[in-house]
Amino acid sequence: MWRDAVLVARRDLRIELRSRVAISQVGPFAVLVLMLFAFALDPDRGVLDRATAGLYWVAVLFSGLLALGRSAAIDEADGVREGLRMSGLEPGGVFLGKAAAVAAQLLALEVLLGAGVVVLYDAEPAGPLLLVATCLAATAAVAGAGTLYGALVAGLRVRETMLPLLLLPALAPVLIGATRAFEAALDGVPADGWPWCGLLAAFAVLYSVAGALAYGALLEGQ
Amino acid sequence: MTALTIAMTHAGYVAAGWGGAVVLIGGYAVALLRRGRRLSRQVPPGERRWS
Amino acid sequence: MTIVSPETPTASPDAPTGTGSPATRVLGGLALAAVALAALYGLVWSPADVEMQDSVRLMYVHVPAAVFTYVGCVITTVASIMWLRKRTAGWDVLAGAGAELALVLVILTLATGSLWGRPTWGTYWTWDARLTSTALLAVLLTGYLALRRLDLDPDARSPRVAILGLLLVPNAILVSRSVEWWRSLHQRATVTTLDPQIDGDLLVALMCGFLAMALVFVWLLVHRFRVGWLEHQAGRLDLDQALADRRAEGRAAVAGTAPDTGTGPGTGTGPGEDTGPGEDTGPAASPPASSGTGAAPAPAAPAATEVTA
Repeated sequence: MWRDAVLVARRDLRIELRSRVAISQVGPFAVLVLMLFAFALDPDRGVLDRATAGLYWVAVLFSGLLALGRSAAIDEADGVREGLRMSGLEPGGVFLGKAAAVAAQLLALEVLLGAGVVVLYDAEPAGPLLLVATCLAATAAVAGAGTLYGALVAGLRVRETMLPLLLLPALAPVLIGATRAFEAALDGVPADGWPWCGLLAAFAVLYSVAGALAYGALLEGQ
Repeated sequence: MTALTIAMTHAGYVAAGWGGAVVLIGGYAVALLRRGRRLSRQVPPGERRWS
Repeated sequence: MTIVSPETPTASPDAPTGTGSPATRVLGGLALAAVALAALYGLVWSPADVEMQDSVRLMYVHVPAAVFTYVGCVITTVASIMWLRKRTAGWDVLAGAGAELALVLVILTLATGSLWGRPTWGTYWTWDARLTSTALLAVLLTGYLALRRLDLDPDARSPRVAILGLLLVPNAILVSRSVEWWRSLHQRATVTTLDPQIDGDLLVALMCGFLAMALVFVWLLVHRFRVGWLEHQAGRLDLDQALADRRAEGRAAVAGTAPDTGTGPGTGTGPGEDTGPGEDTGPAASPPASSGTGAAPAPAAPAATEVTA
């Protein structure tokens, strides 16, 4: 299963690198979201300072949705699903591979957005351990849930509208948890943040297991 | 009307809540029955095991 | 040139048919009586609460609606699990019925909650933990039903909605846990702390509300299930019809009689499939009674006579 996962992850990442959409479109979009927040919440009034953690994670979710949509679309080309099913790859492995590829892109996005927040919002990183742990857990959570929901809507005409509608309410706990953990880290009280980080990790594990188990049923039903 | 407001505090909210509940659920029930009636014309009685 | 419209295969169109049955009629009567009792008890006989005054009467709708919202969600998740195991259409239909009822009731819950909050808290909405998680539950249900509503091939749709339905209750739990935890950093969950010792009359009124809601819920669930079942069957019959048409087309083309048989493939009478009279002469030959009714005992037309109202 793990070998299958690595195989699929490398395939997805290679396709994504070759198409350059992630670099030339998703990344700039993420930075644009940060700028839009600044327009909406006039930077001089101090709202940005207080809301940095929340805005950061909203930006991650919105731009992550684009990456997730692309990941689901890779398998929509003629016969790819058929091929995956016939290839003898384990569905659980395919799921984990796709999730890992998305997670890699999300991590890159988070680094980019982190730099953006530091530069544009004048945020000062603190509590690096908690920040990194939160990023990893939240990324796994978003990637796991997003890949599963992406498979639910793959191949539908309404995929682009359906994915956010289904995924975002389910990701509400992730947004809450990651924001609180970041706030705790930035406020210099990391002890408050670790329980939230644990919640994120639990969410990630739950969705990864559920996705790995359910992916077979989804592949066969297409 | 005055009698009612004397008899009850918040009468408007209570009336709106109960009235809304009756309208919502009653409307849903009626819609359901009509939908069932329309659909059952398209399906032979053998597939309607309850009737 | 016999054109059989899709509506006619069963009985005369005005035959009293529907999703009712003797049992549901009794149940419906009981439900109405319970609603009347609950209204009398909740609105007239029971006294106002000391703290909440008369707005407590909204609780007799609000609390049962909230509880049966959760019942509907649990039905959806359990039915989804059962579908994944058994793969029979009934479980799929039941899952949809549970979710739709849950959506209706969650809307009712939010509406009555707002109307209660206005006189009690002075605002229609507050970011209280329970309000927030209920609103998110409404969105989750909307999404689930939106996916169900898509016009898809059943083989492609059923696994998707089953997985999503399976996730419904875990999602609802995760959301409500995290939201409660989140808000408790700032303020108490107001609804839970506002849980006074309910005294006798108010408790009876609340129980009447529960009884009425339970009966209404079961009645609605049965009817919604039957509507869903009919939809499923109608979809299947359409598919059969389309297949029969296609097959007839093919046969007609082979026999060389294609050009003049009818106004088009859609109006062909579908020559009775495999259960038909066994003649392969062409589409227009079969009598109207055999219009693609699958395995049903078609001809005895107005069979459903005992259904009234």
